[in-house]
Formats: sequence, structure tokens, C-alpha cells
Amino acid sequence: MTVDPVARDALHAKFVAFAESRDPALRDQLVEAHIGLAKYLARRFANRGEPVDDLVQVASMALVKAVDRFDPDRGFGFATYATHTIVGELKRHFRDKGWAVRAPRRMQELYLRLTKVIDSLSQTLGHPPTIADLAAATDSSEEAVLEAMEAGQAYRFTSLDAPIGGGDTQTFAANTGDVDPGMADAERRAVLAPLLARLTPRDQRIVNLRFFKEMTQGEIAAELGISQMHVSRLLAKSLAQLRNAGDDT
Amino acid sequence: MRRGKALNRLTDDAGPDEVRLEFPALSEYFRLARLTAAGLGSRLGFTVDQVEDLKLAIDELCFGLTGPDLRSGTLTVRYRLGRDLIEVSGESSFDDDQSTPAQSELSRIILDALVDEHEFHRESPSSRFWILKRRVPG
Repeated sequence: MTVDPVARDALHAKFVAFAESRDPALRDQLVEAHIGLAKYLARRFANRGEPVDDLVQVASMALVKAVDRFDPDRGFGFATYATHTIVGELKRHFRDKGWAVRAPRRMQELYLRLTKVIDSLSQTLGHPPTIADLAAATDSSEEAVLEAMEAGQAYRFTSLDAPIGGGDTQTFAANTGDVDPGMADAERRAVLAPLLARLTPRDQRIVNLRFFKEMTQGEIAAELGISQMHVSRLLAKSLAQLRNAGDDT
Repeated sequence: MRRGKALNRLTDDAGPDEVRLEFPALSEYFRLARLTAAGLGSRLGFTVDQVEDLKLAIDELCFGLTGPDLRSGTLTVRYRLGRDLIEVSGESSFDDDQSTPAQSELSRIILDALVDEHEFHRESPSSRFWILKRRVPG
């Protein structure tokens, strides 16, 4: 995915020239040079109920917008800027249609099956199952299991006003502020307390058990009476929130 | 928690096979790094807990390499497999000369719990990481 420095410099010169002249012919050249990026990103949103041709159209229009708005003096490469613009437009397209951008249904179904199978296999085997165990138990390929596990996670930052999940109706913002008393017995935890206080008490507890007590996800699941996959999802969400909170401080 | 002595080293137990990924330094591409690690961990017979831990560690380190600001550049992540372990090393390369933030205490604590060994080196304008995770018998 690297770009030839000579080609990159030539492209930059064209953007500089376009920024000054707004020449439509130059704009067409710049759009044409990046149409592959638009098509590539559009295909990433395929299999979500929208025709690919429509997605390419949305991405292409976003590309034109990106070319028009790009400031070559800002220091970012155009591909970086355009990717954000195009992905944003594609997400908006789905949102406007009333559909969430989400994993394909078959992945959601497999994820839900895995949630149950992991816990039952852990009891049967006496230890957490391997990916091969899960593939065999769900009659799926190992790749499909890994994709479904990935699809079920919450690696992206969750909005402060997003529902907590798991049937909760309260929001993250409404549950922050109190530190779980179990977190306060070590010096470094005291340093981290302001960050951790941004998590709900339940998420603080899970973070504490996994990263300070070094219990496994399976052990935490058993202690809290929830599934291992739920623990995994909450941990990913908490880390994303902590990372974001750390960036704000 | 023992930590490695040098980045990008090859442990005695690691084999010669290497998988290498290079991708834009944008969080939407971290999924590729997570899935590759998960696939290789699965090949080693890691349990679902260990695979999830490895993915969290990869995410933590990719974010550590990029920092919070949107910057133009690339991440290169290399995976090497041993008989019962996986080594992952990563390096950032940016077009600007900003320095990446130092690794946070929280990040170190998290990685202590997730992997057997880890290192993070900040070098302006780029940074490097190295982690090692061993398979634990079920």
C-alpha cells in the first residue's frame, strides 16, 4: 500500500494547482486517479443489503467532495483524507436508509451461537475451547468462527450516550463517576482511578479482575454469571473508552 | 513479568515462517492485524480466551503506535510462529515529524495481563513494539 514518492509528489503538485485554479479538467484527473480507492471502500460495505453499484455511486460522489475540499497544505495525504470522507458518506448512506452498518446476518447468528457453545464446551472440556473446537461444534470453518468473534466485538469507541448493552437501558454517561472500592488498594490504581472512574461499576470490576487480578475471561464469566463472549466484548469496549479518555487528558 | 531485551528479536523457539502486513495508520485497518493474529493463534491451538487476549493486545499496540492524532503514514506488523508461541512486532512510519505519545501506565498493565512479554519503544517520529504470547495448555 505504499506510494511511489515521485508519483506522490506529482499528485501533490496537481492538488496544489487545483487548489489555486479550481480547473474542472484537473479535478477530473484527480478523481480518476483515486476512483479505485472509492470502489475499494464501497466494496467493504457490500453484503449489507445495498447494491454494490449504489455504494460505488455514493463513494464516488464522496470522492469528488474530498477532492474539492482537500487542502494540500494540511500535511495529510489525500488518501487518508479521502478515506475518512468516503467512509463517512457510506455510513451516512446506511444511516439515512435506517439500517445500521453491521455485520452480515449470518455472522451475527454465528456469533450468538458461539456465545452459548463456548460456555457449554468450557464446562464439557474443563478448559476454554480452541477455535478448532468451536468450528467443529458449530459446523463452521475456523475462519468463519474468527470472523464472527471479530464481528461481535466492540473495538471502536462507544459514545458516552450509547446504551450500555446487554439489555440495559441506562447510558454510559449516567453510570460514570464512582470507583469500585475493590480498585483502590494499589498505588498505580490510584493514579489510574480518574480514568477508571469513567467506566460503569460493572466494567470497572471486569477490568479489575482481568488486568489487575489477572483472571481469565472464562473465570470472570463464571464469577459474574455472564458468557465469556460477553466478558470479551465488555473488555474491548472498556479499553476503547479508556483509550479515548486517556487521549482527552 | 519478564520482558524482552530487544525489539524485533527472534526467540530461540520461533520458526522461520513470517507473515507481514503493511497498512495505513488508521484504526479501521487494525481489524486486519487482529484477524491475522487470531488466525495464527488458532493455527497454534490457542484457546478462545488466548485468541481474544491476543487481539486486545494487538489493538492496544496499534493504537500505541499511531497515537490519538490522525497522521499520514503506515504500520508494518510482522508475525512469527514458534511451536507453542507467537511473536508480533510492529513499527510505525509517518510522513510528519511529530512524536508519538509515550506508552501509558494503563497500557503497560493491560499488556502485562494479556501477553507473556512486551516492549514498546518510542522513537520520533516512529515507534516500535514487540510482544510474545505462549500457548497455555487447556
